[in-house]
Amino acid sequence: MVSLPENMTPPLSCDNLGGVFGPDPTQYAMTSVLGQCCDDAGQVYLAVYLPTNTPIALKKFNMDKAKDEMDNIQNEIILTRQLRHPNVVVINAAFVLDNYICVVSPLMAFGSCRDLLNRHFTEGLPELAIAFILKDVLLALDYIHKKGYIHRAVRASHILINEYGQAVLSGLRYACRLVKNGRWQRNVHSFPSSTSRNLNWLSPELLEQNMQGYNEKSDMYSLGVTACELANGMAPFQDHPPTLMLTEKVRGFAPVLLDFTTCPQYSDTGQQNSNPNQAHGMPSDAINSGVGDSVGSNGNSLEGGGLASRRFTDHFHRFSELCLQRDPEHRPSAAQLLLHSFFKLPKRMNAPPLPQLLHPVIPLTKVVLGTESSEDFFGVADRLSDLDLNTCEWDF
Amino acid sequence: MPLFGKSQKSPAEVVKALKEAVSALERGDKKAEKAQEDVSKNLLLMKNMLYGTSDAEPQTDIMVAQLAQELYNSNLLLLLIQNLNRIDFEGKKDVAQVFNNILRRQIGTRSPTVEYICTKPEILFTLMRGYEQQEIALNCGTMLRECARYEALAKIMLYSEDFFNFFRYVEVSTFDIASDAFSTFKELLTRHKMLCAEFLELNYDKVFSHYQRLLNSENYVTRRQSLKLLGELLLDRHNFTVMTRYISNPDNLKLMMNMLKEKSRNIQFEAFHVFKVFVANPNKPKPILEILLRNQDKLVEFLTRFHTDRSEDEQFNDEKAYLIKQIKELKPLPDH
Repeated sequence: MVSLPENMTPPLSCDNLGGVFGPDPTQYAMTSVLGQCCDDAGQVYLAVYLPTNTPIALKKFNMDKAKDEMDNIQNEIILTRQLRHPNVVVINAAFVLDNYICVVSPLMAFGSCRDLLNRHFTEGLPELAIAFILKDVLLALDYIHKKGYIHRAVRASHILINEYGQAVLSGLRYACRLVKNGRWQRNVHSFPSSTSRNLNWLSPELLEQNMQGYNEKSDMYSLGVTACELANGMAPFQDHPPTLMLTEKVRGFAPVLLDFTTCPQYSDTGQQNSNPNQAHGMPSDAINSGVGDSVGSNGNSLEGGGLASRRFTDHFHRFSELCLQRDPEHRPSAAQLLLHSFFKLPKRMNAPPLPQLLHPVIPLTKVVLGTESSEDFFGVADRLSDLDLNTCEWDF
Repeated sequence: MPLFGKSQKSPAEVVKALKEAVSALERGDKKAEKAQEDVSKNLLLMKNMLYGTSDAEPQTDIMVAQLAQELYNSNLLLLLIQNLNRIDFEGKKDVAQVFNNILRRQIGTRSPTVEYICTKPEILFTLMRGYEQQEIALNCGTMLRECARYEALAKIMLYSEDFFNFFRYVEVSTFDIASDAFSTFKELLTRHKMLCAEFLELNYDKVFSHYQRLLNSENYVTRRQSLKLLGELLLDRHNFTVMTRYISNPDNLKLMMNMLKEKSRNIQFEAFHVFKVFVANPNKPKPILEILLRNQDKLVEFLTRFHTDRSEDEQFNDEKAYLIKQIKELKPLPDH
């Protein structure tokens, strides 16, 4: 059981983290690989900042492999350095070592929400945990929008959880500015580059690429898709070809939270029970079906059917429906959504802190402080890229 | 922002209040905390006048004109920039947004703020030196690039002694600052073609002796970016004179031939685009021709195997084939 001392509070995040870490590569020692990031353009390492013996996360991007990505990564670093909010990812230092760009960030002990779903919560996170997480994400979005940016890549893999259970939004390389040419634009039209892996989360108006363009409300739609992702375990539209995904979104079919009010239910004989979606002429595939404003029905929950036997609160259902409205005008802003009754649940239900809700997942806080593997900086992949061209000597 | 929405402060009042607050901050007396708060508050008011908010449109042109005039008369822009490091994190960004908006102001074809800054070049010099300070470097960068859009301002910056500090800024170890400085540096050297060409011609020796250090930098990103920019500069027809001069120097050729063999494929590729200019030159000076001749067979062999996996890049393959043909056909100059 992961227990958190009562008085354990997150450090007053932003200001104390800024200048502490230096850009000198010799002051960092890598201990192990945590995973890939940024569409596999980078690797994440668990590392130690030697002067203070602080465990940190170090991302390495091989710039000799990156082509267009180089600009994206550069923009991400510069943008992130100009944002300061407890729920927005922090970059403590960024420096060049050989042909790598290294980015130092605080260690996120629970990893990303996608990691949590993949490893432990394949059918979705507990509702109260989601309430904690989405509230933090909304705080981040509220800040980002007020600073004049659209995030454009809200998804579980871009939500990181630190050891205190605070959620932090990352993935800013897809963000775009609302403030352009000295003016605050009401709508933008640019399509994010190299975003193919984010398509399922993007709003219909962004995907349509029409004259109306889109604005920060696009992020609220992505948040709704993310809410379903966190609740259901898998990302909506996961098995859809992109064209079908787009058609469904444009026609207003939004993903839903899967529980017994929205799941198609089968009796023991395999016969389908009455499904409210059918009445609306919607596809029976619950993942992409319309908003299931079920009547709650008779509660004949099925044994063994995890998704079909659980029940999310109406607050949560309403929340995701609000985000996933087809017309961006109707979607509430981040500031308005923060007042939603869904976020009062944890207090009303006397919920334990997030780390306990994530039990049995154990955070990566106990770091083995070893420095021996730092020679790994000169990666094997790097050596493979050496062409056999150095044998030729010019005669000057 | 409803918090301040009700206040109907006039532009003159906001400018006066902000100036007093910044001065207090500069003096650093005991009321520094209050001063910080006043600076933030008035900056936000000013920003909202210019940009509007989610529920209010920007102020009318008359109000904006008044605000601009007050800013010029009070010399507040310079004061803000000089004290940028004392202003809090979000306030720094508000300064940049106010500055960038006011800078774009137009009356017909005139840009009054640009004219104003021409009479106060200290504003530009202070911004350029902002790259010396970590905590304001990126804010200064956004303002500098906005200034560089105007030829008159770009000229002042290019011809100032401070310009040569960029060769240092683009190489600092903090990646975000170095790459931001590089964007500004590139903007200054490429935005206004005639101005840039003239600057490069007049300052050829100084610029290229500095540039040489970037090409030899230990920092991979600096090396790659500066090599790429060099290619762009030399291939721009406005810089014909500069290009001719550059490709007459055998040391430059040697450097490029060595960079063709660098470990990094991207650097090899960028070096190719500079190297090709030496070979394509129909009037190769003797020392250049001699180096190429001495390495004739090796170069043909090398180029034949060079980046063969770029089969889909037609232009590159055409250029490569052309270079190989040129080098094969090289003949020594007749003896005199």
